[in-house]
Amino acid sequence: MTVELNGTIAEPISQDPLVIKNLKTWYHAHSYGGWSKFFTGLTKGRLLATRCTNSLCGEKRLWLPPRCECPDCWHPMEWKEAPTIGEIYTHTTVEYPGELFRASTPCPLISVSIEGVCTKMMSYLKEGKPRIGMPVRAVFNTSRPTNTILDLAWVPA
Amino acid sequence: MIRFGPENLRIPRFERPVYVVAGGMTDFRKRYPEKNSSQLCMEALRMAVEENDLKVSAEQFRRMVNWCVYSQFADHFGDQLLAAAKIHDYLGFDPLGNIEVKTGGATGGSAVLAAAQAVASGYASCVPVVGWERMDEVSTKVGNSYIASAACKDFESELGWMYASYYALMAQRYQFENEVPRETLAKIACKNHGYACYSPYAQNPGKYTIEDILKNGVVSDPLSFLECCVMSVGAAVLILADEETAFKLSDHPVRLTAICGGTHTLRTADRRNVPILLLPNEDENTYKDYFGGKRHEWPGFSSFLATRYATYLAYHMAGIKDPMEDFDLLETHDAFTISDIQSYEDLGLRPYGRGREFIDSGDAYYEGRLPTNLSGGLIGTMHSVGATGIFQIIEVMWQIQGKWDKFHADPERWIRYGKKKPADFRSLQVPNAKRACTVSHAGTGSHVTVAVLEKVKG
Repeated sequence: MTVELNGTIAEPISQDPLVIKNLKTWYHAHSYGGWSKFFTGLTKGRLLATRCTNSLCGEKRLWLPPRCECPDCWHPMEWKEAPTIGEIYTHTTVEYPGELFRASTPCPLISVSIEGVCTKMMSYLKEGKPRIGMPVRAVFNTSRPTNTILDLAWVPA
Repeated sequence: MIRFGPENLRIPRFERPVYVVAGGMTDFRKRYPEKNSSQLCMEALRMAVEENDLKVSAEQFRRMVNWCVYSQFADHFGDQLLAAAKIHDYLGFDPLGNIEVKTGGATGGSAVLAAAQAVASGYASCVPVVGWERMDEVSTKVGNSYIASAACKDFESELGWMYASYYALMAQRYQFENEVPRETLAKIACKNHGYACYSPYAQNPGKYTIEDILKNGVVSDPLSFLECCVMSVGAAVLILADEETAFKLSDHPVRLTAICGGTHTLRTADRRNVPILLLPNEDENTYKDYFGGKRHEWPGFSSFLATRYATYLAYHMAGIKDPMEDFDLLETHDAFTISDIQSYEDLGLRPYGRGREFIDSGDAYYEGRLPTNLSGGLIGTMHSVGATGIFQIIEVMWQIQGKWDKFHADPERWIRYGKKKPADFRSLQVPNAKRACTVSHAGTGSHVTVAVLEKVKG
């Protein structure tokens, strides 16, 4: 029996010290699990949040990002359509993003406060210049969805 | 969890005293291909054992160790799962038990907490904490996306793949609520790059003016490159021991009187407001006037509940009544200039909303009331993530031991790292330093540990 190498090599970048290239080209099959409804909803132009079903729970407001179980009482949550208008709580404009960023720069990131929602969801402003307190409305990337959180964006209301 | 039950606020207790005895580190570099991670850890361990005036030989020390804690942030970066096992073997500690700790940027602090728990409970009597990070196998841009994988990958990371942006969101809100001049933030960067000039270990020393910082390229507004921590390769090792072992090893062990942890949601977005958890130096009147209407909007995006919670526990555990009076020096996790100001308030150095006064007053400087980040911090010296919280504690331990000069001023040490001791070098040894505080911090405040170290009387 003879063992043959398959012909691929770890290409050297330098000789002393010997530095080699370790390639990675595979994907992860990442599941959104119980949050799938939220991401599928975005591709259909719907902003879906969750609310605790426990009448004794102190948190009556909606959760965005959604959760399947309430962190306060661990009861199941139910899906509810969230308001698609809000206002900018804070913002920053990304000039130098990390690798993997799928949008053009400069890209204004925003945190949006929405009436009746207990969280301040992070998103981006697709048009215009952000300022704190600016009213915004949700827009959805339904034509060619990325199937990520980038399918939700906001524009000045 | 929003409402605290009494046991949620139980003050932690060590069953027996815990000491830090010795520390060692490598220099910190953006790229360090000359040494692999195992070698970096060996170098830091040998420095801890062989250069801290211990009363035992290296061989005797090895026979005293009975548990090890390893501290590395990201398997992504090191590209080696179970790296701790590889390093534990390389350091010659098999078959002693070990544990590897991971809590993001606070990994180093959490690792020291885990070691302290082992010593305090009686499980172990002599514990090296070994921390490192190798962030140079990938480009800076890929490195930033790896770090952003420590935000929520489902709902946040895609938005920039850049942690500086998640802090910039907090910065904009903080500035809006508290009207902090841009110059105040820049001062923190000037200070820490400046102190890094006196550290042979430092990766990014520099004498900058406020104008330099403000004119520097913007990563994500308002934060400029010089206001962000460095991406580093390097290692740090701290030795913890019980009382008997500590005095067998050293004439000058330093007591670790408290180290406590706190957390808050990984996604800043999910932070709901709670009443301010008051420190011993605050009371109901502290926030009566100027915090006014904002009081129930705490912590919002301007404060770190994790830091305040850990501080609350640590101050009560160590008997700290007023941090400005009780501490002689402080090391904060200055990942970004904004997080430093936020942390000043969480630590109670100034009431919420007035953190800027800590830097503007001069208190935070070597000459001031509470010198902060004399090590050069994460902005000037290092953020080799798994090593960072350990590095901070080593720096304040040396200060309390009166050994800052030994480890920074010797020209030979600069030569060791291929550097020349600066002609205008100055000593940053704090005279008669007795008590210090360090803060280790992850995410946008997802995990925090706060430690209190104290000189042994006598």
